[in-house]
Amino acid sequence: MKQISQVVLIITRKLFPFMLLYGCYLISHGHLSPGGGFQGGVIFGSAIILLGLVEGVALTEKRFRENLLSFIKNLGMVTFIVIGFGGILAGSYFLSDWLPKGAVGTVPSAGQMLLLNLTIGFMVGTGIAVVFYRMINYGSKE
Amino acid sequence: MNRILAIIILIILAFFIMQGLFTGKEHLIYGQPTPKISKLHVESGVAETGALNLVTAIYLNYRAYDTLGEAVVFFVAALGVFMLLRKDYREGTD
Amino acid sequence: MTIINGLTIGIITILIGIYGILTKRNLIKMVMCLYIMNSSVILFFISLGYRSGAQAAIVENGDQLMVDPLPQALMLTSIVIGLVITSLGLALAIKIYKEHSTINTKRLIEK
Repeated sequence: MKQISQVVLIITRKLFPFMLLYGCYLISHGHLSPGGGFQGGVIFGSAIILLGLVEGVALTEKRFRENLLSFIKNLGMVTFIVIGFGGILAGSYFLSDWLPKGAVGTVPSAGQMLLLNLTIGFMVGTGIAVVFYRMINYGSKE
Repeated sequence: MNRILAIIILIILAFFIMQGLFTGKEHLIYGQPTPKISKLHVESGVAETGALNLVTAIYLNYRAYDTLGEAVVFFVAALGVFMLLRKDYREGTD
Repeated sequence: MTIINGLTIGIITILIGIYGILTKRNLIKMVMCLYIMNSSVILFFISLGYRSGAQAAIVENGDQLMVDPLPQALMLTSIVIGLVITSLGLALAIKIYKEHSTINTKRLIEK
């Protein structure tokens, strides 16, 4: 197997945590600034994809195991529906806003919107990473 | 032959699209939208939802059902890729 | 009022996508044409909410002229659907190539 360039390898390793941090920032500030769950999740997933392309999929799969990512994806789907039923439990209709709201302009200002952004973001990021693993591992001989 | 047929179909389609969108009483003008529903969202979005980003306010509060459907579509499609590209797939066993 | 704007470009590119789906024989090119159609629909709807001289739809200081946020929120859904449709189509193309060792639709029908 051909060795990848040292510059690409080192810079990717240094930048990787900051990419994850930027994805988390976009997800958590989705209701205050440009961005949102899906955009931050895509950055989250593409950071994992970049690491997989540069370092090799076998090494990346040891750090971010496919079972764990798949579990987070399924958990996100379930959590979305559970948050939706919280609206019914609070006495209103499905997916209505039932959390208390803070002052406008701060992070907890929008009630359940932050939670929904988090679930969508982690679902999309881990889902894209899982799809990438499956596509790149399909033809390879184990 | 195939391409000529496709081009004829596309010309007919383009004619009807252009006629439907750009002629008539309420035709589209670029740069001057006629917002009826979104005017409400813009006026009372921040007070009702508490989010400064109005796109997210519509996406996750006013139209959260759409987002639920999108999440389900994403989940099912990811499961489809997951199922189609299994590693332990052997030919002949469905 | 110019002819070339987002609305007309969107309509032209969706026609290009339909032309590609009608005439191309390669499955991967057909998936690419599906994504072209998706992108052109996104372009069309985003330009539908465009307002000349307006800001992005984020409230910062009081009342300002804003673009229409409703088509943008709808197209956010459409982007996600386009992404997963593309990945599912490519997975199906991989599978079909593994089974029949061709992705040419004409040869697939002949078999």
